[in-house]
Amino acid sequence: MSVETAYQFLFLTALIILGILMGIVLIRSIIGPRVTDRILCINMIGTLVICSVAILSWLLHEGYLIDIALIYAMISFLTVLVLASVYIRKGSGPARAPEGDVLRSGPEMDAGVSCAGGDRLMAADPADRIKEDADE
Amino acid sequence: MSEWIRFWVVAVLLCIGVICYAVEVVGIFRFGYVLNRMHASGIGDTMGLLFIVLSLMIASGLNLNTLKILLLIIFMWLTSPTSTHFLSMVEMRTNPHLDRYVSRRKAP
Repeated sequence: MSVETAYQFLFLTALIILGILMGIVLIRSIIGPRVTDRILCINMIGTLVICSVAILSWLLHEGYLIDIALIYAMISFLTVLVLASVYIRKGSGPARAPEGDVLRSGPEMDAGVSCAGGDRLMAADPADRIKEDADE
Repeated sequence: MSEWIRFWVVAVLLCIGVICYAVEVVGIFRFGYVLNRMHASGIGDTMGLLFIVLSLMIASGLNLNTLKILLLIIFMWLTSPTSTHFLSMVEMRTNPHLDRYVSRRKAP
């Protein structure tokens, strides 16, 4: 077995394992109860993709793929910053926050409550919030 | 022979990087709260990326791509703590049930 074949086998195995890990993190981002869980998981998927693109640039002998990885890192960072600023502006401080968890959305919640549209969330039924608190 | 030594160094570094990522994913599932999960996700952002990229640098030798990969490490190490800090700020500002998970000291 030559060295080239061994390198190909090694990097292909690493790529497959990274792909499986990406799928598992995607599952976590689906079941993550709050919005911050999901943003965190998206950030992790971004890091995994950067590693995969760096490995691919060696496998395909294309140097410019590393530039793509750099741009991907910048866009992933920008995504987190923009989403964070949006949600900080939406929920302004813990003092004003109501009893219900505003940014929480999931299958266990009511259908009317989602993470989009803060004013709609404020108008949710208070009785539901109390029931939800008792459930927790 | 020296090629095989280089191959084994690359293989060990790549395996350490992939194991770091696996530990990160396990930690994401084992921890129960976002501020704990950030601790787990920091492993892959720093050590996983460092080891995988280091193995690529050793495998490709010294050329212009090595410099670009080094730039990638520096950029990720600067931006990953910043984004984690912003995420924890979102969590502190928007979670009304924060006292269940975090014990905060009263301001004097």
